Amino acid sequence: MLRNRMFFVLSLLVLASMILTACGGTPTAAPVATEAPVATEAPVATEAPADAPASFTTPHPVLGDLKVRQALAYCTNKIDLVKGAYNNSLSDEQAAGLVMNTFIPTAHWAYAGDANITIYSYDVEKGKALLDEAGWTLQEGADFRTNANGDELAIKFTTTSAAFRQTWAAIWESQMADCGIRVVRLHAPSGWWFGDTTGLARRDFELGAFAWVGQADPGGQTLYACDQIPTPENGWAGQNSMGWCNQLASDNIKKANNTLIKDERIAAYTIVQQEFTKDVPSIPLFNRTDTFASAADLTGFAPTPGESYYMYNIGTWEKAGADTIVIGYTQEPASLYTLVESGFSAVAADYLLAPAFTTSLNYDFQAVYIKQLPTLENGGTLNNDVEVKEGDKAMDASGNPVTIAAGMQVINSAGETVEFPAGGTVTMKQLVSTFEVVDGLKWQDGEPVVAADFELSKSISCDPESGATTFITCDKTADTTFTDSGYTQTWIPGVQDPLYFIPVWGIYPSHQVLADGRTLKDVPAKEWTTLPEIAEKPLSYGPYILTEWVKGQSMTFEANPNWVFGAPKTPKIVISMITAESAEALLLQGEVDILDSTTLVGLPETLAAAAAEGKIKTFINPSATWEHIDIALFVR
Amino acid sequence: MTAYLIRRVLQGLLVILISAVATYVMLSFAPGGPMAGLRQTQQGNRVRITEEDIARIRASFELDLTVPIRFSRWLIGAPTGPLVIGGKEYFADMVVGCRKPLEAEVLNSSGKYETVTVGCKEVVYLKDIVGRRTSRGILFGDFGLSWKILRDRPVSTLLESRLSKTLQLIGLETILSLLIGIPLGIYSAVKQYSTFDYIFTTLAFMGSAMPSFFFGLLLILLFSILPKSAGFMYIPAGLSESVRDYVIPVIGKVVAGSAKDRTLHLILPVTVLTLINIAGWSRFIRASMLDVLRQDYVRTARAKGLSQNVVILKHALRNALIPFVTIVVFTIPGLFSGAIITESIFAWPGMGRLYIIALSEYDYPVAMAIFFILAVLTVIATLLRDVLYTIVDPRIRLS
Repeated sequence: MLRNRMFFVLSLLVLASMILTACGGTPTAAPVATEAPVATEAPVATEAPADAPASFTTPHPVLGDLKVRQALAYCTNKIDLVKGAYNNSLSDEQAAGLVMNTFIPTAHWAYAGDANITIYSYDVEKGKALLDEAGWTLQEGADFRTNANGDELAIKFTTTSAAFRQTWAAIWESQMADCGIRVVRLHAPSGWWFGDTTGLARRDFELGAFAWVGQADPGGQTLYACDQIPTPENGWAGQNSMGWCNQLASDNIKKANNTLIKDERIAAYTIVQQEFTKDVPSIPLFNRTDTFASAADLTGFAPTPGESYYMYNIGTWEKAGADTIVIGYTQEPASLYTLVESGFSAVAADYLLAPAFTTSLNYDFQAVYIKQLPTLENGGTLNNDVEVKEGDKAMDASGNPVTIAAGMQVINSAGETVEFPAGGTVTMKQLVSTFEVVDGLKWQDGEPVVAADFELSKSISCDPESGATTFITCDKTADTTFTDSGYTQTWIPGVQDPLYFIPVWGIYPSHQVLADGRTLKDVPAKEWTTLPEIAEKPLSYGPYILTEWVKGQSMTFEANPNWVFGAPKTPKIVISMITAESAEALLLQGEVDILDSTTLVGLPETLAAAAAEGKIKTFINPSATWEHIDIALFVR
Repeated sequence: MTAYLIRRVLQGLLVILISAVATYVMLSFAPGGPMAGLRQTQQGNRVRITEEDIARIRASFELDLTVPIRFSRWLIGAPTGPLVIGGKEYFADMVVGCRKPLEAEVLNSSGKYETVTVGCKEVVYLKDIVGRRTSRGILFGDFGLSWKILRDRPVSTLLESRLSKTLQLIGLETILSLLIGIPLGIYSAVKQYSTFDYIFTTLAFMGSAMPSFFFGLLLILLFSILPKSAGFMYIPAGLSESVRDYVIPVIGKVVAGSAKDRTLHLILPVTVLTLINIAGWSRFIRASMLDVLRQDYVRTARAKGLSQNVVILKHALRNALIPFVTIVVFTIPGLFSGAIITESIFAWPGMGRLYIIALSEYDYPVAMAIFFILAVLTVIATLLRDVLYTIVDPRIRLS
């Protein structure tokens, strides 16, 4: 009897843990999980089997044909897709504003312009004609096309199982069926699709859908260059999983990412987009939306495309007759030590205390806590010619910081890739930028920001014990000199990062005395993650001071009397920890004033109705995240 | 009795240990984990994750150690390094893990490339883990540090932050369910086939069948959103307390954080849980009571001329409650674990939500702490049930 009971209890526990383990095993379709992996190198050494033939060199029997790819693009009604994805809550105009034509959003400074690219407007007849030309014809009475051998035009389509993707994928499937193309959908767990050694990372797809996150700097070198095609032979390095190699595009994507003059970058990106739309290695679909909802009487709240952190102007927010504004968060920050905790909720909350020195509104950059963006044009940055010799630290031609040795490939000051000569020197470019913070920047205790604060930021960021994930910035730094108003950053020769004008070091209050009597600057980096003064209640130089954090419930911020830009308009901000299930009710009931895009996936009917009645305000912005379908051009 | 209790306690400890091993191993081999998505954070050369970076981060989560070593450190806080006896170190060169696995691509039977671990480029010896931070062991009350939810800070802080709210919600709901559910079940059984019984049975079926998320949303709509928009008295829709003072028609001004505010916020979640529990429990009591009422000894009691109340409350109820003890004692783990769905619907900061977040965020120290405490409470509840049986049923003797 007792044995039976024990067995029963144990069985229950094991069963419960199995169920819960299964629940935890597959990541949900949170925005981060749906982002694509961005790998430039295989961090763990892998080798292809010695006897394996060169892989991914055979053109895909169907998708290797440009006409088929173009037909796929013409048969895609992007406006219907985006409307369907958002439950038809968007107008035609809103939906059209979200459609993507290339890998750069239409509102972005690097977009080539409609006139300079091939646009595949929805045209079923054109699509059908191209398929006919490609030898895929529709027999009488058949639903799907076949070729001369009688093979059906059926293509596997892989994406995640997120509800959002299931919705638009079903619509796309029917759009393809209208053109006689059978799409076989595979909605895989995102853990597999985005896994390090599975799915996309191993080019295990024919058509594959996922999202990229656009940024103010379009990047793209690892996506579209010929030397970024992952194969077993190169340890799956690179993200060009389509296998697209167009030399003109490849040269120009590299140029765009290694040129500092904006006009030259735009020209290079234009060529890449032209070639991209000509070759159709991928079908860009639409920007997702960033949906926000706020109390009707809240003013100043202005989420803007390009800037993820909508609290960039929180000092100007006001709610009529209220001294408190409540923001609803569905995810509680894990820590306010953002060097190690880079989740959105943590960085967004920390923005009230330690805001970024710059913003990226409308996909461009603006100086906020620094006097200016130090560009080459305004003289804030110099791009000097320096002689580099063996043993010096510099960037190699692949973009890795290395100690120079004879035979290495480097890029010289003329922009040519050259082999480093034994015993000789090469003249390379070296960027030197001076960042100066705005006058009067102080900590919440009234202490002015000083050189030691910048220096502490750099030393902690570059300490291997700090818990930081990557030290690439440190590796690329030759030298930094600090003053009370900022610092001068000297990169190692060969660093020609287009975002050179963005500050790389922040500030920490070096003078802060901790509860245990030590001064912050004396605390070893390995202790920082556990320090309450860093993780839970960091000293502020931003518009607010964190006064209380009740775990699982709320964070309370009060106006910082020493904020450099004067008193914020609302004395108190509260971040209330809510759930997605309760969010709408809490906003409608006035318990919270703001729901952000991490909570709202599209605009629910109840909020749309409330907005129509003037009870709340809604904001639907094009998101930086955009959906697309990659096309496998080669098979193993 | 004493010998029985000692034996049961020892058996309980064994069950706890086995369940801890089982859950730890399963979590260790579950897909995902704290390293999932690390490479997804790379952005060209601006954010570059090197092999060394990965090795360092794996080590910070102890993922470079073998599962038995990790489990031992989690359970008892050892080993923390080589065994030192008389100033001499033993087992210093024992391999306890792999810092940098060696992987290779192989073509599997379906013709696809598969990455498999074929060796280790850099092993971890016992001497290498000296100075690494570790908890004192969960057996000694140290649940370790959170990986994600409260990054690098104690799991116990997280549990404490949710415990009082969970006890409030589940405790109140349990008491109300008992107070209402038992009398309802008795009355329904005594009045079998009456109008009340039919109505009660129908409602109980509906209550049992109603998913809590639907029930919760329905209550929010009916008692919160609609009355508020119509200007009538309403009940707060969620959270455990308000941030700002507010005014409710009829009730008047409610100060944020006051007892009145907290009570108002308890109403809807407690109602949902209570109604669902009442539906289940009262049906159980009804069935149990009906069984007992048909027994000969009840007929005998009636034949003796005892009053109906005495027959029901003294003779029938005590026996009808015996199987109900099982249900009641197993509310003890529930008091700790909370109510996942109801807490989500009402944004209640309880243990249920924490549980789900811990699993979805791969915060295994938090998940394991909850599993472990639940296992302990379940074993205690089982023991308590057996002891309670002897009290409510004198025929049972423990030996």
